[in-house]
Amino acid sequence: MFEPFVDVVPSFFGWLNQGPLTMTIFLHTFIVLPMFWIYKQEKARLESEA
Amino acid sequence: MAKKSVWSDNRFWQRSAAWITGFASILLIWLTFDTIPQITMGTDADLKQGVTKRVPGPTVINYKITYEMNAKRMHEIPVIGGMNAEGTSAFEEKELFFGRDDWSEEEASELLHLGKLGSQAKNCMDCHTLLGNGAYYAPDLTKAWLDPAWGPEGSMQAITGKSTKEEAMAEFLQHPSNYPTHARMMPNLGITEKEAHGLVAFLKHMSSIDTNGFPRNFGKIQGAVHGK
Repeated sequence: MFEPFVDVVPSFFGWLNQGPLTMTIFLHTFIVLPMFWIYKQEKARLESEA
Repeated sequence: MAKKSVWSDNRFWQRSAAWITGFASILLIWLTFDTIPQITMGTDADLKQGVTKRVPGPTVINYKITYEMNAKRMHEIPVIGGMNAEGTSAFEEKELFFGRDDWSEEEASELLHLGKLGSQAKNCMDCHTLLGNGAYYAPDLTKAWLDPAWGPEGSMQAITGKSTKEEAMAEFLQHPSNYPTHARMMPNLGITEKEAHGLVAFLKHMSSIDTNGFPRNFGKIQGAVHGK
């Protein structure tokens, strides 16, 4: 699963982009997870207002 | 009163949009700075000290360049000055370029600059592709220097009556309509001898750039890799 880094110039994105979809999955996780948090906060606000 | 859904609430979408836009902006700024060391050109000292750069210094035109399969990276990489035990550039074997293998950093930079300006003035990208940019009407020029058609076994040296790759290329560029190699014939663009030398240097340098194996199918051209 973990291979030695073989890219020419070391880079965080190069390291992250070594497997199929690794960059996509990482970035989507980072974008979607805070949206759950925003959802919960907004839900709590709407319930308190009701 | 009906219970209000979060999905139809404006504030949820506003906050989500703000988060995504903010995150993407930071990511793009980070990526920009991350790209700079990747695309910064190396120097003559790097080549002499055997430092591999994605974009080698201009004096790479003094070295022999080949395109070899790299088992670790699972694609072809440009190998400069012969191959070492690890299958990467050894920076040892030189090659005459227009009769010289001692082009200084200044001379080589000047020649490459002339070639770059020439490629823009004559609008090569109107038909060709350079490093992924351009048109698909004429052959991809990214690794044109490594195309075996221009090598000692290829047809282009015989057609142009020249004995080296760079002279054959320069001759073709100056009088393309004299050598109709393709149904989509290259037009005569009025390229001078000096400009042609610059363009060939530009192509040789471009072939030494590590493009992560792009164009992907280049290694399948007969003779391009391992001389097969």
